[in-house]
Amino acid sequence: MLDKPASALRIRERLIESERLMEETGCYDGITELELRNQDPLKFETLHTKLRAYCVSAREMARRISASPGVREVGEMVVAIYTPEGDAIALSNGIMVHVHTMSRFIKWMIRNGYEENPRIRDGDIFANNDAFIGTVQVPDVMDVVPIFHSGKLVGWAGAVCHELEAGGITPGGDVALAQERFTEGLFVCAEKVGENDELRRDYVIRCERNLRMPIYWVLDEKAKVASCIDMRESVKGLIDEIGLDYWMQVSKEFIEEGRRAQLARTRQLTVPGIYRGHTFYGHVTKGKPGYQPLGDPDWLYNMPIEMEITTDGKIIMDFEGTQPWGYHSMNCTPAGMDGGMFVTLTQHMNFEGLVNDGAWMATELKLPHGTWTNPDSEMVATATSWALLLPAYGVFQRLLSRSFIGRGFVEEAFVGQVNSPMIEMGGTSQYGSLFGMAHFECAAAGSGALAIKDGLDTAYVGWNPESDMGNIEIWEQNMPMFYIGRSIVPNSGGAGKYRGGCAFLSTWLVSKTDHLRLVTSEHSSRVFDNGGMCGGYPAPTCQKHRAVRDSNIFELAGKGAPLAHHTGTNPHRSELEVRLQGEHVTMEGPYITAPHKTGDVFTHSYNGGGGYGDVLERDPVKTAWDVENGFLTKEAAEGIFGIMLDEDEDGYPVANIEATRRHRAEMRAARLARAKPVSEWIAAERSRVEKADFAPEVKKMYASAIKLSSRFTRDFSDFWKVDARSIFMPGAKP
Amino acid sequence: MTSYSKEVIADLVAGTLPWPQTRRVMSAYKDDDRFFKYVAVLQDRVGWKDPILLPVSDHLFICQSGDERVTKCECGHSFGDYRKNWKLKASIIVRDTEESLREIYPNSDLPDPDWMEIREFICPRCGTLHEVEAAAPGYPIVHDFEPDLEGFYREWLGKPL
Repeated sequence: MLDKPASALRIRERLIESERLMEETGCYDGITELELRNQDPLKFETLHTKLRAYCVSAREMARRISASPGVREVGEMVVAIYTPEGDAIALSNGIMVHVHTMSRFIKWMIRNGYEENPRIRDGDIFANNDAFIGTVQVPDVMDVVPIFHSGKLVGWAGAVCHELEAGGITPGGDVALAQERFTEGLFVCAEKVGENDELRRDYVIRCERNLRMPIYWVLDEKAKVASCIDMRESVKGLIDEIGLDYWMQVSKEFIEEGRRAQLARTRQLTVPGIYRGHTFYGHVTKGKPGYQPLGDPDWLYNMPIEMEITTDGKIIMDFEGTQPWGYHSMNCTPAGMDGGMFVTLTQHMNFEGLVNDGAWMATELKLPHGTWTNPDSEMVATATSWALLLPAYGVFQRLLSRSFIGRGFVEEAFVGQVNSPMIEMGGTSQYGSLFGMAHFECAAAGSGALAIKDGLDTAYVGWNPESDMGNIEIWEQNMPMFYIGRSIVPNSGGAGKYRGGCAFLSTWLVSKTDHLRLVTSEHSSRVFDNGGMCGGYPAPTCQKHRAVRDSNIFELAGKGAPLAHHTGTNPHRSELEVRLQGEHVTMEGPYITAPHKTGDVFTHSYNGGGGYGDVLERDPVKTAWDVENGFLTKEAAEGIFGIMLDEDEDGYPVANIEATRRHRAEMRAARLARAKPVSEWIAAERSRVEKADFAPEVKKMYASAIKLSSRFTRDFSDFWKVDARSIFMPGAKP
Repeated sequence: MTSYSKEVIADLVAGTLPWPQTRRVMSAYKDDDRFFKYVAVLQDRVGWKDPILLPVSDHLFICQSGDERVTKCECGHSFGDYRKNWKLKASIIVRDTEESLREIYPNSDLPDPDWMEIREFICPRCGTLHEVEAAAPGYPIVHDFEPDLEGFYREWLGKPL
């Protein structure tokens, strides 16, 4: 008989029962013994490997259905198989952040009575992109289908694609201008969008009429449904083979084993204790068109994180002391915060064994209510929540890495992920049609350094371990701009014994359009939103945009004169200014401006990663190679790292070891002469603190943190030996 | 069980293990005997005899120094009780002007010194740069790590301190 869960209980009661069992026993669904694993470990492992293979194969097949270069080229997709209660059993590679957010979506439907209405039946398709139900941001649209066997609900198959166009107030997927939910784009709130394995025509029409580039969303929907059906049929075939009872038991044991493995790995790789770190994010929109005066145009957020590793192997992350949510697009829901935790764990600790929701169950997030991590209003915008998520989980990576260094697993220590600013665009395409797109070459920032080597250059982002910038030719097919440069940015990795990975910069010529809207997001230009480690420096802040309107580039090209292919290394006069005539524009923070047209030139720079270790220990020979290949400049080698370079007979840089040794001795002596005891600095700085002699945005940040957190207030007051409340909130009630 | 020689661990820590071998170490099951080999490698590296109990940074170690457990620089300088924030006993260089930030960021756009400064924590004896903080002016110095040393040795390593 259809529509009935495998258990005698209805699925909502079953979910509650599962949670009660976890509460009582400490084990997933009350699985205190891994009976099937113990009976036949080989069969157990083989079955999980099969499930993983189903997921990987379904995702690869689906990517060929998609029309979106985000999914086809960059791999912005993930699929997973779930228990009837919505816990992930196995997953594919890709944007794994969404494996647990989909879990939240399934559970939300179960808790909200979807069994009764709209009913859960074989062949149904449910979709969601509401972050308060379970996703990160509007463009992350997820589809799930129930898996029935012998008329019983035995699991779910789910898939997520990041959409390149979401129909918001600004074009693209990450809608930078959204300040409330109502401008973020097309919402699908845990909706039944198909029956009998077919998407409803009215749903497709809604997409077609509310998106700038519906082909991406609609074909991604078909790709996701195809992958879900593929996984569903594979699981049903597997159940035919192993039996329903075995399936129901083994799927839970997989998750419990995943939970235990995570705890064991924490005990194996880390050191128990309290770890602390912080980062910041600065947002600058004053005077920019389109922003409603709902909050401060310019603001500074602090993101302090305290991580506890308990002796039983549990990791607890606490965000107390951070800032309130705001009228901007960077808020995050608990689902998004969960997702950030999950994708970080899958990269850092779950590199062997079973990977599933069990890992998430061995952790705990403390997200203070009312902050950007856990807004107390469901009307807030979360369209670009990665802007804060990435820096925050970069801190998490550094905290974990401190524990790896303590334990001796230096090869796993990693300075972490960074923000990677995105370009969204829309208007009239080079084909004369309406278009909208997120440019996803941002999925290839510089990574933080490791404790044993330099970071990856232009090859890593935290949200997708398969980071990829995509081919120029593919992007050019989808937008009315073509590349006149894609270049490594010298010195863009944080300096250190091991430098952070370098960023790249793209330079485009707008072509064959009289209306191209370019909007960018995830820019922290006023402050570092990344960090270094063990003496390494942060990578540079997010760079400004440089553009030229009405440039003379066609005239120069006609004469065969040199063009500008990048911005160069002079921070005060870019190559665009040197080579091109026209209206030169330099813009800090999010780029939002009047439409561009043919002949305009636009540049956008991505971010590098933080450095590791003392700069004076950097390898001179590797540095010569870096200079030769454009990752560092000769001036930086000498001025920052103390490395003196000569030239060989062919003009290539070679390290002068003896001159380097002498120069470094001088730099070390100068460093000691310049430094003062921390106690002296604190004594001098205290008077500034007492007077609150800070920029308005800094004062506002302190006042907000103090209002929300007694712990922050206490820590601040104790450190400076002042009364923080009376300084930053004079007149406030105690 | 995976296990490596002390020489391999020494090369790994020094960053001199050839990449193909390093890559295999990264991909293989982890070696459960790593910690004490690691500590032995570091003990050989430092020029002092106090037993290292726990490395906490690239050149900072918690060690047993007589009856005390202190945080010590590789050069031998002690920052005092390991439970206290070693940074408070360090020397500091603060970069809070465009000129001083430009020394580290020669080609890029800079943060606004009114919003953010860089703090360099340095060993007052040897000048090693141990840690860099990027923080808003007035932000308290962070205490990076308070290890549960007793719990680590007793419950995870199964050895007394």
